[in-house]
Parts: sequence; C-alpha cells; structure tokens
Amino acid sequence: MIADWSHQIVLAATILSWFIIGAGLAQTTIYLLQLIFAGYALSKRPPVARSALLWHRYGDVAPPIALLVPAYNEALNVVESVHSMLALEYPNFEVVVINDGSKDDTLQRLIEAFKLTKFHRPYEEALAHKPIRGLYSSPMTERLFVVDKENGGKADAQNAGINVCRAPLFCVIDGDSILEPDALMRAAQPFIDDPERTIAVGGTIRIANGSKIEAGRVREIHLPRRLLPLFQVVEYLRAFLMARLAWSSINTLMLVSGAFGMFRRAEVVAVGGFTKGSMGEDLDLVIKLHRHMRDIGRKYRIQFIPEPVCWTEAPETLSVLARQRSRWQRGALECFFRYRSMLFNPRYGRVGFLGFGHILIVDVLGPVAEVLGYILIPAFWLLGILSAEYLLAFTALIFTYGVTVSVCSLILEEAELQRFPRARDLAVLTAAAVIENFGYRQLNNFWRVKGWWQYLRGNQGWGEMTRTGLGGAKK
Amino acid sequence: MWMIWELSILLSALSLLIMLFLIVRRVLQEHRDKAAADQRRQLLTALIAFTENRDSEALKAVVLGVPASVAINAGFEFISLLRGEERNGVLVAFHECGLPALVGRLLERGNVAERIHAAEMLAALGSEDATASLLSALDHDRSRDVRIAAAIALCDLGSLPLLGIALDKIGVAGQRSRRLIDLFRRFPRSRFNELAVHASRADAVPFVRAAAIDALARTGGFGFADFFAGLARSDSPEVAAAALRALGLTGHGAAPAILAVAMTNADWDVRTAAADAAGRLGLSELAAPLSMLMDDEFWTVRYAAANALRSLGNPGERLLREMAGSEVSRSQRTASLVLAEGPAA
Repeated sequence: MIADWSHQIVLAATILSWFIIGAGLAQTTIYLLQLIFAGYALSKRPPVARSALLWHRYGDVAPPIALLVPAYNEALNVVESVHSMLALEYPNFEVVVINDGSKDDTLQRLIEAFKLTKFHRPYEEALAHKPIRGLYSSPMTERLFVVDKENGGKADAQNAGINVCRAPLFCVIDGDSILEPDALMRAAQPFIDDPERTIAVGGTIRIANGSKIEAGRVREIHLPRRLLPLFQVVEYLRAFLMARLAWSSINTLMLVSGAFGMFRRAEVVAVGGFTKGSMGEDLDLVIKLHRHMRDIGRKYRIQFIPEPVCWTEAPETLSVLARQRSRWQRGALECFFRYRSMLFNPRYGRVGFLGFGHILIVDVLGPVAEVLGYILIPAFWLLGILSAEYLLAFTALIFTYGVTVSVCSLILEEAELQRFPRARDLAVLTAAAVIENFGYRQLNNFWRVKGWWQYLRGNQGWGEMTRTGLGGAKK
Repeated sequence: MWMIWELSILLSALSLLIMLFLIVRRVLQEHRDKAAADQRRQLLTALIAFTENRDSEALKAVVLGVPASVAINAGFEFISLLRGEERNGVLVAFHECGLPALVGRLLERGNVAERIHAAEMLAALGSEDATASLLSALDHDRSRDVRIAAAIALCDLGSLPLLGIALDKIGVAGQRSRRLIDLFRRFPRSRFNELAVHASRADAVPFVRAAAIDALARTGGFGFADFFAGLARSDSPEVAAAALRALGLTGHGAAPAILAVAMTNADWDVRTAAADAAGRLGLSELAAPLSMLMDDEFWTVRYAAANALRSLGNPGERLLREMAGSEVSRSQRTASLVLAEGPAA
C-alpha cells in the first residue's frame, strides 16, 4: 500500500516537473528563436543614418503627425516637456497635450507658460471619452493645442486626443518621457516607405536614470548608478531589441508601447481607439488592430524599428517596480482572456498561433511555472523524489539560458546599434546581464504571480507610480 | 536532461566570449573615433579657410591627408551648405582629389545606408562618371531604397531614363513609397509629358498615378487643367481625388459640373477632394451640393464642405448660419462647430 502511494507521489512529482521544465524549455526556445530572428532583421536593416540626412531625404514628403501627450498631475515637468516636444525635428507636426482632469496645477502652468487662450476647434466625436471642458491654443506657436477634460484615465485621454487631432498619423507619448529630437522623423520612415500598408510603428524605450538631462533633452548618456534601474536597462534591451524586433520581422508584433508608438488614425478610430479601463491599453490596441485588419482582409504592417528613441524614467524602488510589474502582468492576462478566441485560430494566422502562443507561454503560464519550479524542483530533489538531472535542467533553463539570452541581446545592441557610448558601459551591462538572473529575475516572477492573483481577484487599480522626475536625474 | 544543461553552459560561455570580444573591439574603436573626429575638424577648418582664401592646393592637401570616409562625409555636409562660386570651387577641388570615384565605389560596395547616401552625394558632386554609376545602381542594386535614391539622383543630374523604364527598374514594391512624390516633384518641365502619360495609364499603380498628378499640379500649372479634368472621372478613387485636388489649384471651365458629379461619388475621399476644390475655387454655384454634403456620414467630408461654404463668402456663411439655426442634425452640428471655430469670445 505504502509502495503504491509512494509510486503515485513520484509519478505526480515527475509529471509536475515535466510541466515546469517543459514550460521553461518552451520559453527558452522562443527566446532563442527571437534572438535569431532579431539578429537577422538587424543585419538586414540599413544602419542608422544621421539626422541631417534624414531631414534632407524625407523632409519634403513626411506626413503630418499629431503628438498626443496625456498629462495627469504633471505640473512638475509639463512645461519643460512641452518645450522639448515643440523643438522636435519634424517638418509638420502638432503637439496635443491632454490634461486628464489633473488635481494639481498642470493646466495653469501650461496656460501661463504658453499664454494659452480658449479656442473652438471642430472635431469628430469618433471615439467616446469623458467630457472636454475646453480647448486651448497658444499665440506663441501654432503647433500647440491643449485639451482640458474630466479625468477618465490614460486611454480616455488618448481617445480625446485622437478625436481632436487632425493629422492622419498620431504618436502617443507619456508626458514625462523625452523623445530624441529625430525620433518622429525616424518613426515616420515606414509610413513614408510603405504608406499604404503601415498602420503602426513602435520605437525603442530607453531608461534615462543616471543620464544628464538639460532643458528636456538627454545631453549625456550614462548608465543608472543604482542596481534596480540598471537591471531594467538589460530587461528593456531584451524586450525591445530582441522580442519586438523579432516579432516585427514576421509581422506578428503584439505590442507597440504606449510610451512611444505611432499609429494611423483611421485604423485606430475603426477599432474604437484605446480600450478604456484596460490595464494594458497599448497591447489591447495592437491586438484589436491585428484582428480588424485580418477580419477585413487587408494587407498591413505593424512594425518595430529600433532607431527612434524615447527616454523614460524607470522605477528605482522595489515597491514601485513591483506595482508596475504586477500591473503589466494583469494587462497581459486581461488582453489574453479578452481576445482568447484568437488563440490558435487559423483565421488570424501567425498572430493567433505565434503572437497569442507567445503570450500563453511567456505571460500566462511562464511566471506560474517558474515560481512553482523554484519551490518544487529543489524540494523534490531534496526528498529524493527526483534525480539531480531534473534539478540541473531547471537550473540551466532559469540561470544559464537566462544569462545567454540577456548577453546575446547586448551583443545585438553592440554589433548593430552601438548606442552605449563607452566600452566601460558595455562591461557594466554584461555584468548586470549575468547578475540579474540571480535574484532580480526571481523577484520579477514573484511580482508577476502576484499580478495573476490580483487579476483573479479582479483588482483593477493602477497603483501609484512615484517618480523623481527626469529633470532630477544626474545633472 | 543533461543535454539541456551542457548546451546551456556552452551557449552562455560562448555569448560571454563574444561580448568580451565586442568590448575589446569597442575600446579600439573609441581610439579610432577620436582620431576621425580630429580629422573631421581639420577638414572642416580647411574648407572654411578655402571659402575665404580660395587656396585650392591647401584644401586638396588636407582632403588627401584624411581618410576617404571622413573626406566624403564631412565634404558632402559642407557643400550642401554652399551655393554658387564657393560651391563650384570646392567641387573642383574634390574632383581633383578623386572623391567622386570613391563615392562611386561606395555606391557599389557599401551597405544599404552607405549606398543610399552615396547616390545622394553623387548627385551633389555631379561628376562625369556619376551618371553611369547611378544608372548601374538603378539597374542592378538589390535594395529598392537604393534604386529610388539612384532615380532621384539621376533626375537631379538630368539623366533619368524614361519614367516607365525607371519605375520598372524601381520595381512594384517600390511604387508605394512616398519617396516617389519627391522624385516627381524634381522632374524638369521638359519632361512633364512623361508624368502626364504615366498618370493616365490605367494599368499603373494608383498611388504612383496620384503622385504624378500632384506633382504636375504643383509645378505644371494651368497647362494641364484639361488633363486633370479628364482624370477627375477616373474609376480609381485615389486618382480621381488627386485630379480633383489638382483642379482646385488650376481651375477649369467645366470644374463646376465635374465637382458637382464628384460630390456624389461613392468614395468619401473623392467627395472631400471635390468639396475642397469647390471652396478653393470659390464656386458659389456649388453651394447647394455643398449643403447636401453637410449631412455626409463622414466627418471629413462634412468638415470640408463646411469650410468650402465658408470660403464662398457671404452666401456660404448665410447658408451655414441657417443650418446652424435649424433642427438638431449632423449638418446643424457641423455648421455650428465650423462657425464657432477660432478663439473663444
């Protein structure tokens, strides 16, 4: 009888271990394939042309763009941010700042700095959003419009901006982020080269912590001096240079970051704009675009290009980072289950199989399997239920493959883009790419499992995102 | 299971080794970049000095003393700032130093970005061999971006093959690029007929036809008004809309009739273009069809119609005010919004 029980336990433990290792193996295989695709895509891309050349080449045919900047309680930085956006190098753009019912004096600061006056501008009420209290224009510049509306959240504010803007393309950016001066010109390039098919383009988000920032511009690039943002630099490299580039190369890009993405207005309006109240409104929008374009049977491209850069501030404390990661996890789960009918649905082709398959393995099953593995695999081994082979395989999948993937992302960056200015930075980042697999990765997975739990409990809060302000970074 | 472990160790060790190599490469590169920056500064100083003293021998000595890549890039940037005699002087010095030949080689052997840039530089340098190199790139280059850049450069040099041939060489995929608009806008007046022929080809890509019409409207002027009037009835909405926009610029005796028909077109882009053109030409006889468009299901059409009515002056404004004061409807709302546009009272 006891032998029978112990046999059952060993069998159950073995099956569970196979599930955990299988999930890890699937994730690692995806990452390695992404590296191959990303490497190929980067090698095929023309190297970065200088900004002056881009202007010379595309200046006359660049389409108009509206830069939509939702602002909620951004009084600290909003004026400097808007000044920096107005100084972007692009021939035909307008900046639409949407004050989303801020409780501080965001609007007042803008009114004073740009001598704003109320203005009537007819617009199409194509997307629903909270009521607009007023539109403002500035006698100082024709490029600036401010929309003052009741608070409704980021997606709601972006929808209001989409309604008010008149350009065929719009670019969304966070109010506290900094665009490189040539970012719009670079991001617009796919819309110039293939204007009929391109409907969305994402650029790179880089972490500005530690860099020298003056007058809303990143003047000198430095690595963060604190460990937590440093690890996030490696993470962002993996996310953007590896994952997004790889998926973009096979037109299966599922996410264009809400912190910096350019979209064709007509298609976004056709899918109903950003989904209000969504935890992952950027992921949600891109999935809707894929679904819409495939439903109507039109050829399209959603692209990621690494050259345009938007700088953002990364969380520096564990508590803020934990909230951010749990929220991202909830966003991924929410979108996965909302559009679950697309999973492995032949109607949606590679988006249904590869894109949704990726979300299933990496975002839905991945964190749970990995955290289970941290607890169960060593326990089973210590109890003598599993052989050391299993333990080694799990260790390899988590740690050594983790190191490989992170370092390879850095290799891609250095081999093709070389955006870190000093050799010393590369050495520091290589060390960070190794160390982050021992502790930081585990913490991240713990936060993601927490996000799972919050999702199951229906927790829809965004949590406070405390920022020190980019202007407060190293000067 | 052992294989997973062993392969992971192998891959991570390999990746770390490659990274180490790249770090060492970067250290060496930092030294090279510093030297290149110094040489660039030296060349720019010599170029500035040349514009003052015209000492061609001193300039040539500096150009030949720096690496070709530095001379090509800094030289191109500098000549794009110059005009007239100064520019010609610098170009002669560059030719005597053999820079165009180096750029020609770059057009053959560089990466895609370098080849595109080389095509642009060859157009600026304008050597005798430039045309041959660019024609070869237009013929053989495997990147459509390079082929488009070569076509633009050839157009600037006055050596672009017949448009149909050039577009065939660019390829179908390249015929969706907005860079073609740039190419067409550079067309010399003497070759406008080629644009017209291509714009009227029913088998050509509608995007290219529309771009050709836009280019003709911007630079060709009234001479093509009849041509635009004919194309305004095209079956392709993209072509018809472009022709209507062009008519709005040139005008035509039959414009009121053409625009009135276009305002009933099934495509909203065509209706918008017709409304815009009516407003631009101030055709008050089209006030009635414009009023009908105020109830169009597409906001863009309604807004264009309202603006067109506004630009008709008093009669249009009166119509708008009547609509704004009528029962709540799409046209009433559009009319009141457009009448209110501008600074708040």
